[in-house]
Amino acid sequence: MKARKLLRTIPMKLYALLLIVVLFSFFSNDFGLVDIQKTAIILAAGIDKSEEGFMLTAQIAVPKGTDRSQGGTSSVDVTTTGVTVSDCVSSIFGETGWVPKLVFCDLIVLGEEAASEDVIGYLNYFLRSEYMNDSCKLAVCEGKAEALIASKSALADVSSIAILNLFSDAAAKSGKVLAKTLKDFAVDYYGVSKSSYLPYIRMMEQRGSSQTGNGGSGSSDAGGEEGEIRPEVVYSAETTALFADGKMAAVLPPDETFAYSLLKGNVESGIFTAQDGEKPVTLSVLSNSGSIALDMKGAPKVKLKIGVIARLCCRGTTAPMEDVSNDNVPEAVLENAEELLKENTRKLWQTAKESGCDLFELKKALYRSSPKKYDEWKEFLLDKAEPEIVTDVRSSK
Amino acid sequence: MNKVSVRQLYFFLACIAPVGKLVVMPVRLSAKAGNDLWIPTLLLYLLQAAAVFCVLLLGKRRKSLYELLCERIGSVCAKIVHLLIVCFLLFCALIPLLEQKLFVQAVFYDTLPSIVAFAPFFLFSAYLCSKPLGSEGRAFDLLAPISVVGLVGVLLLSVSNADYGAVLPLFASGAKGIFGAVAGACSWFFDPVLLLLFLGKFEYGKGTAYKGALFYLAGGAAVIFFLITFYGIFEGTAINQLFAFTKTSKYYSAITVLGRVDYLFIFALSLVMTFYTALPLHCAVESCLQAFGRKKYLPTILSVGFNLIFLIFDGLLDYHFGDVLGVVGKLFWIFPLFTLLLPPLLLPSRRSHEGA
Repeated sequence: MKARKLLRTIPMKLYALLLIVVLFSFFSNDFGLVDIQKTAIILAAGIDKSEEGFMLTAQIAVPKGTDRSQGGTSSVDVTTTGVTVSDCVSSIFGETGWVPKLVFCDLIVLGEEAASEDVIGYLNYFLRSEYMNDSCKLAVCEGKAEALIASKSALADVSSIAILNLFSDAAAKSGKVLAKTLKDFAVDYYGVSKSSYLPYIRMMEQRGSSQTGNGGSGSSDAGGEEGEIRPEVVYSAETTALFADGKMAAVLPPDETFAYSLLKGNVESGIFTAQDGEKPVTLSVLSNSGSIALDMKGAPKVKLKIGVIARLCCRGTTAPMEDVSNDNVPEAVLENAEELLKENTRKLWQTAKESGCDLFELKKALYRSSPKKYDEWKEFLLDKAEPEIVTDVRSSK
Repeated sequence: MNKVSVRQLYFFLACIAPVGKLVVMPVRLSAKAGNDLWIPTLLLYLLQAAAVFCVLLLGKRRKSLYELLCERIGSVCAKIVHLLIVCFLLFCALIPLLEQKLFVQAVFYDTLPSIVAFAPFFLFSAYLCSKPLGSEGRAFDLLAPISVVGLVGVLLLSVSNADYGAVLPLFASGAKGIFGAVAGACSWFFDPVLLLLFLGKFEYGKGTAYKGALFYLAGGAAVIFFLITFYGIFEGTAINQLFAFTKTSKYYSAITVLGRVDYLFIFALSLVMTFYTALPLHCAVESCLQAFGRKKYLPTILSVGFNLIFLIFDGLLDYHFGDVLGVVGKLFWIFPLFTLLLPPLLLPSRRSHEGA
């Protein structure tokens, strides 16, 4: 009786067992095992133009040993050249014996010279690879990407970690940085507008500090010389590179970058400085709304609207206690702030127009509303459209 | 064991059948129809829902497909039709099998795994297919909530990144693009034929046919919403996004902090897909059994045989998925022949038999 009962339950047990085998096989992910002695875990990639075609600088995470006192992250930078980016990636294996792994690559930086060409040629490899994380941040830098990746950050062990801090959500909410992912840049490039933007990274030497390159924690250059002095640097991405047809066409200064963030309605905790008469007053943005509307009735008109609710954050002069305890923004400062934002937005419009970058996605808006009008206007829309800028800065009560 | 309830069929139509359409189909649709990808899907779903209605209406007669065919065309012709249905089901099974294999290899492994990684699927499928078709009903009961959780989870994490305006302007791809996409996506629509093999295994109740069609359309609505979200996220780059349902949720802002938590939902859908992928093979075995009788070892022999054939195909076609899609795409007309034409042809009943 018991044997018969057991036999009856065997199919169900076998069924469950087979299902477990299948799930185990599918989802084991090779048990997540990565032999770090044989694998180059690439944290960031810098791409430059070279005589051969492409130059790739990969920042590779390396095991740091067991000394707990050191802590942090360690990396080594490997630079390879090739006729394609894929060629450069495979050269990493040829030169180091490490198999390159791009799954953890969170940052791609393009050198300035590379950005002057159609950059999608530099990004082709990353867009094709199923094993690449296309939500990684993309940026362009002043000078060579190799120098940026190999630089010694004053703030973090590894330069890419310090740079990625610039693109955090908090940085985006400040309105000072316009971050972009590889996927979003590709969507813009292959879209109707064929225009996009990327943060433009500059590095500045940290005053009064310098350190030898290959000592202790932090990154080291595989080809660098022992004892070479590398200054510690900090990074800034408050400027923004505009792209038209994949080529870098202009660089927005910080004021215009901030104005664009306000237009997109992205700012929640940013600050900007207006004038109270001759004296500077810093306002803190509590909430922000922005809109871009294209009106094709008659001649094309673009309404750029920025709404800000702000509080007084700081005066550049001495003030009585009654003033310190009051967050309300005086009427004169509000008017000045509105003028300031209007002026910055006007300059932003002009920069975008002169560079041929459809930063305000006017072509996209027109294509979606009327493909017929889009065909009619696509060549002239940016030149002919007239901006109407409306700024509304209010004080928090 | 060889019976299914109507509820289980509804679960299949609303929750399990849509899952097979989320892997490669969105890419094929966007390649042909661009931002109009949801229009061909809607057309296909409306047509297939009509076919589902017909199949479920046939359930009123409480006869198996073979018995219905015998009634109309005699036993010899019925056997021939069954053999054709077997060939069709094996043909249908090819794309889901290959796409699931590629999906598992590409998404669940950081580097290309060994070909053996997918082989246990055939072991599981061979066992499942050797069981009576009615056993799928219990699986539908268990898989339906898993599917709903998976799909809702993926969609919830995806919607915030989608620009739904991307589907404008409507009909931008023109009639050629839309009908080209209909033809290209036909190979993912064979559910009414699967349902035909369940005839005689469920009790027809009041309104089963139209309720079944509505459940199928509800599943279709979920697929269409996913497609719009998918296109809203990737726009012009959508044609580069194979394994669509694994891609849309990864841009959710919290994922950068928490890691790929969306994989929980993707795993859930993959589990459902494992059963859905094996279903055409299971129905092919059932079709043979209906036509040639349920001899003792026949289910096992057929099940092992079919899965062995597909294991060999799986190895041979490892780097030829594009070619398979091309061949199946050229033979797209076979799908409406079986899915849209066969069920209505079976509908008119013979008075003499009804009288009897």
